[in-house]
Amino acid sequence: MALHDDHHHPHELRHHFDDELDEIRRGLVTLGSLVVANLSRAGSAILENRLDLVGEVRHGDEPIDALYAQLERETFQILALQQPVAKDLRLLVAATRILYEMERSGDLAVNIVNCLDREHGFPRRADLDVLLGRLVAASARVFSMGVEAIASLDENAGPATDSADDEVDELTGRLFTEIHRVSEEIGLDAAIELTRVGRFLERIADHGVNIAENITYVVTGSFPDGHEPPAP
Amino acid sequence: MDTTDLIPEPPIDLRTGGNAPTAPSHDRPAIFEVDGLDVFYGDFHAVQDVTLDIARNEITAFIGPSGCGKSTVLRCFNRMNDLIPTARVEGSVRYHGLDLYGPDVDPVQVRRHVGMVFQRPNPFPKSIYDNVAFGPKIAKYDGDMDALVEASLTKAALWDEVKDKLRDSAYTLSGGQQQRLCIARAIATSPDVLLMDEPASALDPIATLRIEELMYELKEEYSIIIVTHNMQQASRVSDRTAFFNIEVTDGGQRTGRLVEFSETATLFTRPQHPQTEDYITGRFG
Amino acid sequence: MTTADGHPASRPDADIVDALRGRGLGVGALVFEGALLVALLSALSILLVLLADVVSGALPTFRTRGIGFVLSGLSLSPDTAGVLTGIAGSVTIAAIVVALAFPVGVAAALYLEEYAEEGWGTTLVDTTVRNLAGVPSIVYGLLGLAVFVPLVDRIGLGGVSHGRNVIAAGITMAVLVLPIVIITSAEAIRAVPQTIREAGFGVGATRWEVIRHHVLPSALPGILTGTVLTLARALGETAPLLVIGVATGYFAPPANVGVLERLTGPYTALPVIVFSWSRQTRPEFLETLAPAAIVVLLGVLFTLNGAAVWLRNRHDRRW
Repeated sequence: MALHDDHHHPHELRHHFDDELDEIRRGLVTLGSLVVANLSRAGSAILENRLDLVGEVRHGDEPIDALYAQLERETFQILALQQPVAKDLRLLVAATRILYEMERSGDLAVNIVNCLDREHGFPRRADLDVLLGRLVAASARVFSMGVEAIASLDENAGPATDSADDEVDELTGRLFTEIHRVSEEIGLDAAIELTRVGRFLERIADHGVNIAENITYVVTGSFPDGHEPPAP
Repeated sequence: MDTTDLIPEPPIDLRTGGNAPTAPSHDRPAIFEVDGLDVFYGDFHAVQDVTLDIARNEITAFIGPSGCGKSTVLRCFNRMNDLIPTARVEGSVRYHGLDLYGPDVDPVQVRRHVGMVFQRPNPFPKSIYDNVAFGPKIAKYDGDMDALVEASLTKAALWDEVKDKLRDSAYTLSGGQQQRLCIARAIATSPDVLLMDEPASALDPIATLRIEELMYELKEEYSIIIVTHNMQQASRVSDRTAFFNIEVTDGGQRTGRLVEFSETATLFTRPQHPQTEDYITGRFG
Repeated sequence: MTTADGHPASRPDADIVDALRGRGLGVGALVFEGALLVALLSALSILLVLLADVVSGALPTFRTRGIGFVLSGLSLSPDTAGVLTGIAGSVTIAAIVVALAFPVGVAAALYLEEYAEEGWGTTLVDTTVRNLAGVPSIVYGLLGLAVFVPLVDRIGLGGVSHGRNVIAAGITMAVLVLPIVIITSAEAIRAVPQTIREAGFGVGATRWEVIRHHVLPSALPGILTGTVLTLARALGETAPLLVIGVATGYFAPPANVGVLERLTGPYTALPVIVFSWSRQTRPEFLETLAPAAIVVLLGVLFTLNGAAVWLRNRHDRRW
């Protein structure tokens, strides 16, 4: 699954360098999988009031931070030592951005269980739980699409993930409406924490979209229309 | 091969070199230990007080501006400086713990153990086969010469390109192929060290990458020291990098000094010495 | 001068285009080229006139005598005189020169270039060799007379001529060309790239192995060329031979004697024959026989040079 397999690249000439690039990419996929796993743990926690999972999710963020730091150091080192250009350079620059998106997503999963922890469990209402469950699933799916794009190097990943994110935005809107509707019954504190959880889930999906768009950039050399990263 | 008469397998010194500021501690045992090395050419003090250890099965790069003495130090590892009548070496260079400049060491034997590849490809004006076979032949190699030639050319990643024309002149090869032939020639005497003095400076970028990739493979079996003007090359291939610089002494004399020696990743991302930083960032002088 | 938007005004394109238009070579260059051509042509024409004069003088001899002129020995009669004795002498001298000057000269050059450390001693030797190459050949003749003739006689090779024989002549000629052999060989050795030597040392060769396997083979074409050119000089020299007692008149080589007697007896050489025939009282010797002998001498020289070129090419062609 080398980055250059399907191109006329003097492959054998720098296979040591190619190995290093592939290692970075594999590392990103591993890091993404860790985030997805922690996210699904956080989802189970808030959907079933599993307070026992709170510590596990917090603990689960530690390897994420460690791998993030390691991959960032390795990327930095390859940038410094190998003089990458073109696709190689784009991959490494994108890797630094993707690393940030993943690390933030990992933190957001912790933030989600922190909300649960502060409330010692959310009040359960069927209509709310259904929306929350669908949002957790949708958010995790969009983020996973981003992670898969790193593995597949699919140039259409950006637009495809962006479309999938529409469902997340829609579910988030409906969740907020529902929270607003039942806020007096569940109490203001719970309503605020639940709103936060919705907001975090939506942000995680956005990070997934950004990851996928960076992969489109790696493959094509440009971001999907209208999604260029903000000027510095 | 009967080339072991120089070194009666001395006990390998595991000193990790932590006692000198410029010698990083090594994970691998040192193959060379240089201590307080000074080299003179007549009255010219070419290199002053170099102390460093070269680790086994690693690629160590020497970088620095022209005249910083990096090639001079390299040529102490196989006593190539002996060929310059006015050259004088002080301090010690230990190879497997044995002082290379000791009174009973034969420089000719040293060069069979410490192979060298030069700046410009310099094959002999002979056939490809004879180029590789020359070293073993004068070392009275009595094994299967054809097999040795093939093995050497294979290790140098040249066999497939030349196997059908071993009797052709080495000059029929391209520059990059000639340089790989020179590497095969150096390997043929079964050294455990390869010294490379700017081995790619006369080659085009593709041939250069080939040589670099080859070095990466060769370090499994050999310890490699490379002198290069091209610090990107040092950063790409080496495990450790030594930065040499020119120092002007009080008397106005120019002399080479080792400024910094550390892992390549460290040297190119967090150089400790401002001179190193200036040099590798291109803000030199 | 800047334009309104602050950029320096560029030269009009037409100026640059005009400046690039070639105007051909100037008059001075043409005159110079012409002068060079005239110099070349005059040198060539003098050579051609000389050659034509000699050949036209020699033609009657070859027409009437044919190959017999080359195959007959000395004679007092112009009708039977030939150059075989001279060819034999010259070739023998050449063989002795090659046998002595080539190994000694190459060895000396190797020592100077590969072994001797640089210093005032080496410089002195080098300068001396160069000066010796410029010493007039007659001086070597005197040296031969004073040293080699008695020496050859003393070691029992003097024969009936008491050392005034082809052996002493060969030794004298060898010493005469030795400085030139040394100089040309040293230059050929110096021209071997230093990188080849480094490569040899780099794989653990000793100095002798580097010289034997790499320096000498690479320098050999140059050494051979130089040696053969010096041989041509040895063949053409007359003065030293006259000094050390070459036979200038008629002599009959003793018949039915061994090689040693021939080597130690009286001898002559091609240029000496030309010299002595041109002093003969009978006009045929000067007018037809001497030119014919010159043609034979030239033929021997060209053959030798051709052999040199062939040898060099054979060694070059390997690579």
